[in-house]
Amino acid sequence: MKFVRSVTDVFGYSPFEDLHRHAELCGNAVEKLIEQFQASVDGDFEKVKSLEKEIDSMEYQADKIKHEIRGNVTKSLLMPVDRQDLLQFLKVQDSIIDNTEHVAHMIAYREFSVDGEIRELMLNLLRKIEETVREYERLVDHMKKLIATSFSKKEIKDAIGHVPVVEELEHQCDKIQIEIHRRIFNSKQDNFLELILLNEIVVKLGEIANSAARSADSFRSMILGR
Amino acid sequence: MIVIVAVLTIAIGFYMAWNIGANDAANSMATSYGSGALTLKQIIIIASILEFTGAVLYGKKVTHTIAKGIVPIDSLAPHIVALGALAAILSASIWITIATYYHLPVSTTHSIVGAMVGFGIASVSQNYLTIGDIKWDVLYRIVMSWILSPIVGAILAFLLFTIIKITIIDRYNVNRVERVFRYLQILTASYMAFAHGSNDVANATGPMTAALRFLGNEAPTWVLLIGGIGIAVGIATWGWRVIETVGNRITELTPSRGFSAEFATATTVLFASSVGMPISTTHTLVGSVIGVGLAGGLASVDLTILKRIIASWLLTVPVAAGITMAVYTMMVVFA
Repeated sequence: MKFVRSVTDVFGYSPFEDLHRHAELCGNAVEKLIEQFQASVDGDFEKVKSLEKEIDSMEYQADKIKHEIRGNVTKSLLMPVDRQDLLQFLKVQDSIIDNTEHVAHMIAYREFSVDGEIRELMLNLLRKIEETVREYERLVDHMKKLIATSFSKKEIKDAIGHVPVVEELEHQCDKIQIEIHRRIFNSKQDNFLELILLNEIVVKLGEIANSAARSADSFRSMILGR
Repeated sequence: MIVIVAVLTIAIGFYMAWNIGANDAANSMATSYGSGALTLKQIIIIASILEFTGAVLYGKKVTHTIAKGIVPIDSLAPHIVALGALAAILSASIWITIATYYHLPVSTTHSIVGAMVGFGIASVSQNYLTIGDIKWDVLYRIVMSWILSPIVGAILAFLLFTIIKITIIDRYNVNRVERVFRYLQILTASYMAFAHGSNDVANATGPMTAALRFLGNEAPTWVLLIGGIGIAVGIATWGWRVIETVGNRITELTPSRGFSAEFATATTVLFASSVGMPISTTHTLVGSVIGVGLAGGLASVDLTILKRIIASWLLTVPVAAGITMAVYTMMVVFA
């Protein structure tokens, strides 16, 4: 609009909405990963491939959001959190979806069969990881309210209350993971290639949960480091 | 001849007042629209009435500063003063119109002060005054007030929002708090309009008063009436669009934040009016918003605007002075 002088320029780019969208993509990608593993178990390799593509494009979207945030969070912005803390947090959060995408590719490397007990444990692990990431999302959900209350003590307490829960869930993931490794290395199956792949997948799955826990920790540092 | 010059000055002064209403008043009021405290219609009614009231009841001191604070018009012949005032208001209006077209965050106040300085220097060059006759001490105080007003706005807004946060937001449900502040913001919006009218009207009425010097020593009150009407007309005919555009872009200024920024700005501006200092309401409002941001009340404040504001100061005063010197010299030569 021409012939206007205005004060709007004082309001800068706010990264918090984008951060939230990024976190949501992380949770949704993990959900798709469960579907993909289930498809692999069912022997529906077509579906495995198409879900791989879907997760890949989710990761690509998340990357775009990441670059959008990095490109706009300049030093001239005055935000209620430290800029470096925010960028560090974003980096860790991004590793959640990076690891998820990595697993999606591994599941699609080849068709493989998993024996009954390990299969159940794998599904348990995946569900537990989803639970961890969803709990993590609940933590990030607090950002809006933190800003609305201008970081009131009560809101900060409510928010960081989610961090130990995420950590506890991550610990439970670890336990399932160890159990799966034990079974893999004591397996009677002689298709080593499948076992190696399965083992790699389990390692990478653990990293998704780890990323969520580390990201929760970064979030806490960010809101406490003000 | 002098009557024609005075009438022209009043006409252009009315355009200046219209411009102030259309842009600056609108910016000051947009915060109340952005937070949803008031509808567009309500804002236009409140703003028109209170800008007018502020201008008429409280605009005299700043008008006096612009009219005779910088250039000692009492020691000049009335027809020279009238030509100078016309040159000043014309030049400031031209600059404001150009700057507005290019979205520069310039201030009408800085333009008119620069223009009056230009008139002073031009009359020195024509040996009507000596360089020492120009009231540099007043100019110095005005410039200091330009630096101080955004800082004071920022400090007041910071303190006010911090107090609100500790005593209210921390204790009660934030949605309920914002609902209450929506009503309180009706008061601060009115306060803001009154304060803005009292200060910025002088940018139009200062030169008008100077041009009417031949009528006597005291400025006629109807000059302020014309200024007040000009601002009100500006809000009603063009300002509402600006309020809509700006308001829709600053929705993150919730009622509690808007209240803090408006109260701080209005208080600073009204104080400036009471000591006769012409300051920029818009720049003070920017300072206040930054103050709320410093108190942790906003998701993001972009400080690059400070550079643009400082650049606009440095640009506006010499440019407005330069145009005035040229216009005035031509008028004197050809008249």
